[in-house]
Amino acid sequence: MRTWAGFAKNEEVAKTAPAFTVAPQVLAIRGDIEYGAYLASGCITCHQPGGNTDGIPPIAGLEAGIFVTALHAYRQKHRDNPVMQLVAGRLTDDEIAALAAYFETLGK
Amino acid sequence: MKHMQGARPEMKLDRRLFLGASAAASAVLCAPCVLADGHGRPRVVVVGGGAGGATAARYIARDSRGAVDVTLVEPTRSYYTCFFSNLYLGGFKEIGDIGHTYGGLTAGGVNVVHDHAIGVDRTARTVTLAGGSVLKYDRLILAPGIDFVEMSVPGWDISSQNLMPHAYKAGSQTELLKARLMAMPDGGVFAMVAPPNPYRCPPGPYERVSMVAHYLKANNPTAKIIVADPKPKFSKMALFQEGWANHYAGMIDWIGEEFGGGNVGVDPAAGTLTIDGEKTRVDVCNVIPAMKAGRIADIAGVTDGNWAPVNAADMSTRADPDIHVLGDASQQGDMPKSGFSANSQAKVCANAVRGALTGSRVFPAKFSNTCWSLIDTNDGVKVGATYEATEEKIARVDGFISQTGESAEVRRVTYEESESWYAAITADMFG
Repeated sequence: MRTWAGFAKNEEVAKTAPAFTVAPQVLAIRGDIEYGAYLASGCITCHQPGGNTDGIPPIAGLEAGIFVTALHAYRQKHRDNPVMQLVAGRLTDDEIAALAAYFETLGK
Repeated sequence: MKHMQGARPEMKLDRRLFLGASAAASAVLCAPCVLADGHGRPRVVVVGGGAGGATAARYIARDSRGAVDVTLVEPTRSYYTCFFSNLYLGGFKEIGDIGHTYGGLTAGGVNVVHDHAIGVDRTARTVTLAGGSVLKYDRLILAPGIDFVEMSVPGWDISSQNLMPHAYKAGSQTELLKARLMAMPDGGVFAMVAPPNPYRCPPGPYERVSMVAHYLKANNPTAKIIVADPKPKFSKMALFQEGWANHYAGMIDWIGEEFGGGNVGVDPAAGTLTIDGEKTRVDVCNVIPAMKAGRIADIAGVTDGNWAPVNAADMSTRADPDIHVLGDASQQGDMPKSGFSANSQAKVCANAVRGALTGSRVFPAKFSNTCWSLIDTNDGVKVGATYEATEEKIARVDGFISQTGESAEVRRVTYEESESWYAAITADMFG
């Protein structure tokens, strides 16, 4: 099980319930990177590729497990940004995995 | 010497001829590769370099890695975004902050042509430009934004736009409206003729009212704002009305449909606005007429009434599967006519067009929109939704809106989000 520990420097993440975890079988889903790239186009309308962390934080390069945990936390309303609850609310487990796999490649 | 003198011009001539012949010969020699490289590649022509067109052009060029020849036709060399143009009116942005050029797109492989598209031949599949060039296409993407419905505000036409600016296509018009605002006499009247539905937003009329009020409160506090509105209600109405009461008490008089706000006429030369038979002399009159799809959509014959009906799955028009319409000009269903919507639609369209032309994977259409508005310093609000493609339309799935009575901290964070979003979406559009 993964927790928020690895993401603790991010002010936004610090607001979330640190106990939130995602089941290992969900974290183990292998993401379709090409589908993730397509879905990601909907994220980068708001998330800048890097730099300034005020406002909307950058997400490119996030480790996949952290990304998956964050999105599931929004989907289950453990985090409270209404935009992100909405975005995550319509993503399937496979789609979250696809996005995570894609964004992780941007950090390599 | 005589011989030499005679020979020189001859040599020059020969040289010129040789160069000409050489160029022609290279052209002939290269003809197969030109054909393979140019005519062999599928061609996409995009008309309009805003949130829809620039995004579509950039994504198709980038993701096809040169397999698709992408030309973007956009008359302006510097594009000013409608979103955040109200913040310029309020003094939160400089005009340069909302201006963008197309160098990033050209570097990304898009052939950017600064010209006006004036004709579409759907049989020959060509677009004619005002400069005389003719562009062939396999797929045509029209993202022309809006034009105005003539005589929708009696007394106003495009020749009046310097006397009564619309500021609904950002740039010089926005600068003019700001100059007029700044030149208002103490205690003067700023009037807005608000548009009927459906209208482009941003630049939202009600955010604009807020930004004008913000400016006046600091610089001309006894001035008044009159809004004549043909609608009985508007987006985020409760949020704006709460904000106006909190920040600008007594300054803004909103006259909705019920009180004759739709029964208006203007006399630009006299500087008067008549609302429901009552004529008022105003110092600034911001006339936002009724809107329709940018003219080229009409010329292409893909409109039905004022807008171009499209299929939600790929933004192709109902009239012609090889022509797609994005953003404000499209009649797509439930999405607002925002830059965010156009950008979202562009990505769905780019994925579908690339798939059709190169065989790349096509994924399900998913759309989203969020619109932030600034009411006063650090008082930001937002509304958003997600959408999916149905046979009939782009259909709303779920949404949210800021709540009245939110804390100052929530509103500040919301405004900060909008700043991040602006940086992100403009990078997404222009590279």
